[in-house]
Amino acid sequence: MPRLRILVVAGEGGNAGGLLQNLRQWADDGRLTIDTAPDLPRAVRQLAGQGWDVVLAVLGEHPDDDLSWWVDTLRGATGSPRLIAVAPAPSMGLVLRAEKAGVLDVLSLPLRREELVRALERIRSVAGETAVPLPVVQPHAVGPYALVGQSPAMLDVYKLLARVAGSSATVLIQGESGTGKEVVARAIHVNGPHASGAFVAVNCAAIPENLLESELFGHEKGAFTGAVTRKIGRFEQAGRGTLFLDEIADMSLALQAKILRAVQEREIERVGGGETIPVDVRLIAATNRDLKDAIKQGRFREDLYYRLAVVTIRLPTLVERGDDLVLLTAYYVRHFAERYGKQIHAISDRVLELLRAHAWVGNVRELRNVIERAVIVATDDMVRADHLPDELRGEETTLADRPQGGLLTLAEAEARHIARVLSHTNGQIGAAAEILGIHRNTLTRKMKEYGL
Amino acid sequence: MTGPPPVRVEKALALMPELEALEPLRALLVSIARPDEATLWSSSGPYLTLGKRGVHPDELRRRMPQAFHRITEHLQVLFKAYIEALEGQQRGDAPGVVAALLRAGRLEEDVGRHTQAHTWYEVALGVAEALQDRRPEVEALRALGYVCLALGEHAASARHFQRSLALAEAEFDQAGATAASEGLGEVALAQGQWGGAQAWYSRGLRLAEAASDAPRVGRLERQLGVLARKQSDLAAAGDLLRRARERFEPAGLADEMARVLNEQGQVDAQLGRYTAASAAYREALAWAQRAPRDSGLELSIRLNLAELDLEAGRLLEAEAELRRAEQAAIAGNGIRRLAYIYTLMGRLRGAQGDETGFVFFEQAIELVRALPGSVVTEAQVYLAYGLFRSRLGQQDEARAYLERARELFDSLGEAVERERVDEELRALSA
Repeated sequence: MPRLRILVVAGEGGNAGGLLQNLRQWADDGRLTIDTAPDLPRAVRQLAGQGWDVVLAVLGEHPDDDLSWWVDTLRGATGSPRLIAVAPAPSMGLVLRAEKAGVLDVLSLPLRREELVRALERIRSVAGETAVPLPVVQPHAVGPYALVGQSPAMLDVYKLLARVAGSSATVLIQGESGTGKEVVARAIHVNGPHASGAFVAVNCAAIPENLLESELFGHEKGAFTGAVTRKIGRFEQAGRGTLFLDEIADMSLALQAKILRAVQEREIERVGGGETIPVDVRLIAATNRDLKDAIKQGRFREDLYYRLAVVTIRLPTLVERGDDLVLLTAYYVRHFAERYGKQIHAISDRVLELLRAHAWVGNVRELRNVIERAVIVATDDMVRADHLPDELRGEETTLADRPQGGLLTLAEAEARHIARVLSHTNGQIGAAAEILGIHRNTLTRKMKEYGL
Repeated sequence: MTGPPPVRVEKALALMPELEALEPLRALLVSIARPDEATLWSSSGPYLTLGKRGVHPDELRRRMPQAFHRITEHLQVLFKAYIEALEGQQRGDAPGVVAALLRAGRLEEDVGRHTQAHTWYEVALGVAEALQDRRPEVEALRALGYVCLALGEHAASARHFQRSLALAEAEFDQAGATAASEGLGEVALAQGQWGGAQAWYSRGLRLAEAASDAPRVGRLERQLGVLARKQSDLAAAGDLLRRARERFEPAGLADEMARVLNEQGQVDAQLGRYTAASAAYREALAWAQRAPRDSGLELSIRLNLAELDLEAGRLLEAEAELRRAEQAAIAGNGIRRLAYIYTLMGRLRGAQGDETGFVFFEQAIELVRALPGSVVTEAQVYLAYGLFRSRLGQQDEARAYLERARELFDSLGEAVERERVDEELRALSA
């Protein structure tokens, strides 16, 4: 590993003199290059000027604000420096928040040599990552998209897709968010009798309820305030092609009735118009919800469900697809490397390990995002652990081996777990208390205690 | 079991009557709105707007004491200011009365209650007009000028500043005259009257230089820099901003440094120097960090950073920055900013050729319509919406939105923006 370049930045009104002196003594082994910036604005200038491996930032009176500012500033900085935050008496809450934000370490003042050395060793270990060549992938192209995967779960999907595509049957695609419902819908369209027509996708959950009807069926000029011109709706736009209604469970019951009529009668009326317009579209609907459950709760029409679910395709989650993860990773690395003009031929063994360990709540969509970002920040021919976003790196045991002896105290373990659950519930205390199985007052007390 | 799902903000707000007494509740509701975790990775996730976020009635109930505490605190300082005015009245200290009433107005402005601030300033002006010493009147008029400017009432704002200037000059109150000139420059700038703005700022600058008022000189140089940038004279803008920076940096005026660098970033962006612009914005954020907390300034820098990423085609970074800004605006109930953020998000989708991006413009329009004095913002949203439709080849809709923008700019007497809309309309017809 070449010399590590460290930029030491004093906190607000602080003085890094003593700290710097210590560092210079410790740097005697010749493996460190140290420079200093007296304050944040000048640090920004130095960061823009050249690449650094590490920023050692002394946090000021408002350590949380300083920390988030640093995390923000170093995102995309030249050389992708890692942050080591230094604070006089860091609270457990600060340490946990730092961990979540992907900070390399939080050290307390006065700085101890062995703590700093341990942190720096972790950076050096990044250099020890081994390259895993990208496997060859043969995607099935679907317009601008691609179907990638050879897992048994996906082979079942392909078989069903092949059987259904040739007909004009209405299809319901079910699967968690990010499993590729729209790609499958497009594959059905391009391989079916409506392929010569347009493929029109409507995301029913994205469009405000009061606008969805006119988006689907169109409107006449002056039909309502804001109807400044006549609008052709998506049903008509689809012509003799395919209309893909994504997230159909989010539609109101009133609109469901209108969709049902369009499916049954094969005709629509524009909002504010009296004319009946015939439509000859193939309908494909998708949802990430359990529609049968929604029917039981009275939120989805049973008659519409049976009209839509003539054939149902259930898509597996990314975790259920096993080694498809590697194929998809390889596909996206190549895809984005080409888009961003990079020469990336491998990912590191550590990256693969982290990708395999991740829960992938957002399935393939989340993986795609992770790889796109990694390719953007990658500076050489390999995607390394450092290129992964904070959330994934946060799953490394970054700070776990920080205390002497490498083991956490019970309080530290509890605080980390609470922080994780709170993050999962988006900070909702009631939901977090429920998951943790404790009373919300107890949770509030513990959050206060740990500074969360 | 995780209990009933949250209620969508669009539905929650539809249940709330437009009553002033409910404003704090509305602000609280908006600030605690969160995206449903399941939505974040769904295909509708990228289109998530405030209306699609969710609120739990239980959380609203739990946070009510906090909201009441903030309201009580605000009322307490307001009542205290009034009592101080009353005490001034009792001891015959009329300037003290004016000062206390103006303080109350500023407290209202601090929490975004401009209409209420206007009312306090009117009362203060009434008291000041009866005084022999005209300086309190100069100050009250200036306060009215700025609050009218914030409310988008440009003609009234100019009238107040003009009167303030005339009085200050008659009283040989050089600081008052400088401030009034600066205010008149701001009004002209807001209306796109470049010549007027140049004249007023230059006059203010001469007065400030004569009084050796370095911070004000720096501020006026910055404003002249803004003006030069708007007129595309980027060399002059860079020079003026450098001079302003040289005044502020040795004095350690962190907030002013942040403003100058925020402006410098825009100049660099206009010159196509994206790296330099990004560095200027990052440094501006660093200075803002050192200054007393001003969430508006920080948000403005972040939005410029997002716009820079957008223009440079770094769409992922732009989106990430916009989402961070959105969170900050929602937490701080910054509805005007939020409307601007959604306009940028719509532009971002337009750059990707994504038709569903229209949902951001619709949300932005809904937000600005609920705000008083937001005609300029509404016009800007329509302009961006028109360009979005035009980019997608929907010419009829594009024309309709641009015409609406023109109508709104016309109603404000906004010449420059109106000309820009006309240009776009001509391009559509060509």
